[in-house]
Amino acid sequence: MWIPIQIDDQSAEPLYYQIETQLKSLIVSGQIEEGTLLPSIRELAASLSCSVITIRRVYQDLENEGLLRTKQGTGTFVAKVGTGERDEYRRTVVQTAVETAVDTGISVQYGEEELKQLFLKILKQKYDKKSGRDRE
Amino acid sequence: MTEGMAIEFKGAVKHRRRHSIGPIDLKIPQGYIIALVGSNGSGKSTMLSMMMRTIKPDRGEIHWYGESFSGELPLELRQSIGYVPEGPIAEENGMTADAIAKFRAHWCPSWDEARFNGLIEQFHVPRNERLNRMSKGERRKLEISTVLAARPRLMLLDEPSSGLDPFAWGDMIDELQAYMENEDVTIILSTHIVDEVKRLADYIVLVDEGRVLGMVEKDSLYGTWKELWVQGALEGLSQVKEVVKCEPDGPHLMRIIVRDNAQWNQYLTATGMQIMKSHSLELEEILRLWIKGYEPEELLV
Repeated sequence: MWIPIQIDDQSAEPLYYQIETQLKSLIVSGQIEEGTLLPSIRELAASLSCSVITIRRVYQDLENEGLLRTKQGTGTFVAKVGTGERDEYRRTVVQTAVETAVDTGISVQYGEEELKQLFLKILKQKYDKKSGRDRE
Repeated sequence: MTEGMAIEFKGAVKHRRRHSIGPIDLKIPQGYIIALVGSNGSGKSTMLSMMMRTIKPDRGEIHWYGESFSGELPLELRQSIGYVPEGPIAEENGMTADAIAKFRAHWCPSWDEARFNGLIEQFHVPRNERLNRMSKGERRKLEISTVLAARPRLMLLDEPSSGLDPFAWGDMIDELQAYMENEDVTIILSTHIVDEVKRLADYIVLVDEGRVLGMVEKDSLYGTWKELWVQGALEGLSQVKEVVKCEPDGPHLMRIIVRDNAQWNQYLTATGMQIMKSHSLELEEILRLWIKGYEPEELLV
């Protein structure tokens, strides 16, 4: 099975962390479904050109978090993701995006009130458009 | 590492005509691919020959799966080791691929004839040509096929890819990876090709002038060094311990090679230096720095 994980050589984040966060988001977002058999440690290591030590660590971490489970002799499977975890994941993704947007605002000297007004304006535009589409 | 060791060097020394090797102390864990990297004549082939016991150390010991032997290796152990030597074996010159297969099948109980036939076909090795009439690459492909078909527990490959075309090289990488699905198997290979290290290795052992400079987990090397173009507080920069290279690149710009660790990042914050461009060093450059004495921080031995 091919897993869409992309490694950025220039990233300051360690390899295992890049792989772990991407695999985790694929699982939590439901892009890899519950019960899916993941590639063997050697297979995934080979396809990402990293060591088995790195992949073993990723599988182990995600198993400890309850996202994966290993059946002796069969392989590593995707476990059931609870709604709590999925909600938590959704919140984290949105929060990170909003934080980045605020940081951008600060870096170009936007004031708090100015930023808030802009945010509310965009919010209104987008949701008006969306509810318009939903009505059609 | 809690796993068992496939091979352990304990103060092994070998005196050779031109230069001596060792003392070597090295533990190679079972179940991994280990790349021996180093310049020509650094001692990689001698190390592999010692692991194959075609060369005995003058001093010190070598252990195979926790055991050492005073004389020859026991037959069972020898049968479980697959060896691709650096150059062609002269005694095999007059033989054909089929004759080699027959010989190996007789000698090796785990020989897998179907596997051999499959590999020979996949690699386009002529069956009935004498080995000394084959091209260098064909002969290499035959040697690799023979070793794979014997289903060894330990593979010792001395520059396995020399002479291979890029397609056969890719196939070889895939075959070795697939064979490693068997978690019992250990591969130790010497190589000059950084791409091979990138694609295959779990651990890297750097060998230089007959000595082992150390072993690292390959992935721990990535992101350890950076090439930076910096502006601002440049005074004293060349004296910083983490900076190994420092040269002006334009009027107010300095190009530096620096160890990307916590101390460096502290220095960076303290001086308020500006980074104009940043680039992580590639494996090849990292290994070159290591040979020059700038060893990785997460060295295992």
